[in-house]
Amino acid sequence: MSETYTVSVEDVSKSFGAFKALNGVTLRVRQGEIYGLLGPNGAGKTTLIRLICGLLEAHAGTVTVLGQRMPNVGVLRHIGYMTQQAALYPALSVEENVRFFAAINGAEDGVKEALELVQLYDRRGSVVATLSGGMRQRCSLACALVHRPELLLLDEPTVGIDPQLRVQFWEYFRSMAAAGTTMVVSSHVMDEADRCQRLGLIQYGRLLAEGTPAEIRGQGGSQNLEEAFLALAGRRES
Amino acid sequence: MSGHRIAAITRRLLQGFRRDRRTLALLFVAPIVILGLLGYLMRGSSSAPQVGIANQDSGALGSVVANALRQSSHIKSTDINASDGDAKLKDGSLVAYIVLPADFTQQAQAGNVAPEVHLEGSQPGEDTPVIQALQQAMISLASGVAGRNVSFQPHITYLYGGANYDTLDYFGAAFVGLVVFFLVFVITIVSFLNERSQGTLERLMASPLRRGEIVVGYMLGFTVLALVQAAEVLIFALAILRIHNEGSVLLIFGMEALMAIAAVNLGIFLSMFARSEFQAVQFIPLVVVPQVLLSGIIFPVSTEPTPLQWLSDVLPLTYAVNGMRDIMVKGADLTWGSLELDAGVVLGFCVLLIVAGTTTLRRRLG
Repeated sequence: MSETYTVSVEDVSKSFGAFKALNGVTLRVRQGEIYGLLGPNGAGKTTLIRLICGLLEAHAGTVTVLGQRMPNVGVLRHIGYMTQQAALYPALSVEENVRFFAAINGAEDGVKEALELVQLYDRRGSVVATLSGGMRQRCSLACALVHRPELLLLDEPTVGIDPQLRVQFWEYFRSMAAAGTTMVVSSHVMDEADRCQRLGLIQYGRLLAEGTPAEIRGQGGSQNLEEAFLALAGRRES
Repeated sequence: MSGHRIAAITRRLLQGFRRDRRTLALLFVAPIVILGLLGYLMRGSSSAPQVGIANQDSGALGSVVANALRQSSHIKSTDINASDGDAKLKDGSLVAYIVLPADFTQQAQAGNVAPEVHLEGSQPGEDTPVIQALQQAMISLASGVAGRNVSFQPHITYLYGGANYDTLDYFGAAFVGLVVFFLVFVITIVSFLNERSQGTLERLMASPLRRGEIVVGYMLGFTVLALVQAAEVLIFALAILRIHNEGSVLLIFGMEALMAIAAVNLGIFLSMFARSEFQAVQFIPLVVVPQVLLSGIIFPVSTEPTPLQWLSDVLPLTYAVNGMRDIMVKGADLTWGSLELDAGVVLGFCVLLIVAGTTTLRRRLG
């Protein structure tokens, strides 16, 4: 029986010159799932996310999102993408930024809801250049989800934000997943992994292991995810 | 003051430049290119102005002067019929023509000659050699009238401009367009580069936006800015500086708008080849300065060495500058073939750049 996946990455390879960023990666994400992409810096997480939203094209293998082979412009309106750095227009206010991304996705009616979700509605008039890093990150998230995408790609969304805000972010993610949004979240922070439903461990452009946090612990033979990851990474190398 | 700490700063600077080959190249190549071009333009300038001579004198002295003119090193002369003169000024094959009237010999013997000098007039620099050549030719009259003093009162008329027409009028017409072109180019290339470096371009590419929509949206946004700027520049030039204008203000504005659109798209296109604002600004000496030198603003294209003329002929700014001058100095309107050509070339260049900008947009993302 073939299950339909929101994201299906099949045996994908991608090189930049001589550097193999991804090497035969296969992974699948179900609808409404929070899928954690875990691995050290430079493992290929960002490349994988860019392939999923069609910014890059695979040299080998296929990427299918919502039933469409990527890259495909038609699918993009159902995808929300939050880049690693808070990519915003510094000279515009919070609301103007969110409204811009709403407009290019044809979803202006979602602006207020998105601002309320990230608790920036009261600061909506503030110019982004004057905001703290955490607020920018929240504004960036609002821009990514303002058009209520079916698939949300979050590239290290919690980097550089304080623990309180991190807890808040994961609350947003969980409530969105409960409402049916599929999420792919990359991170190199292991204690975030436990909050995902399923994990893909990635290193040197290869998928080391995939499964629920409990399964990963079992495969790595450790109760601690970080130790389990290191054990799995070591096993592959030996 | 610590010499050690100062040396650390100096060393750090030089280390950075060592890796930025582009900046190094600019530092050492651009001055050679610009100075070389300037030298070639000034030394290699080929032709003396083309001047027509119509000798209608029934006496003998007219041909004496005409001969002297033919030998002058200041001008290149050809014999013409006085009736063809104006047409030749208009089509640009002559910058001036001199008519020696039928009673020239009698005038000379009476001690007061008044040859007619018809100047094209749009390029102030080209008038001087014509008058100089004529003055020198008059010296040869002295022998013909046995040493009598002949006073020389040329009757000068201008096809364009006039006696009050000055250097600012000539340069002003071109600079009105150039100022807009240059500033719009700089702000476009820098803000498009910001879009790239602050990561928002990546976001745009992951949205349903199409590349063409991004380029055209940018173009419209900056064109709105540029038009307001163009209007300001134009009002200042015409009302405050009182730059000579024969043509329709709307037409000048239209030409400025075309130049602004070309500048926006050139900025977008070139931003694909720069990684930082620093590198973007480097396009100014490499792209803008040679264009300005070759566009005919300072040195008329017709006086450039032939190989540089070929180069001038493929640069869009040449046509833009020529168009602006045709409108403002000569009062050209859209029935003039030359203005249609100028506007057409600039428009074609805009279209070419929009296509080029759109196709290169994707490439530099990965």
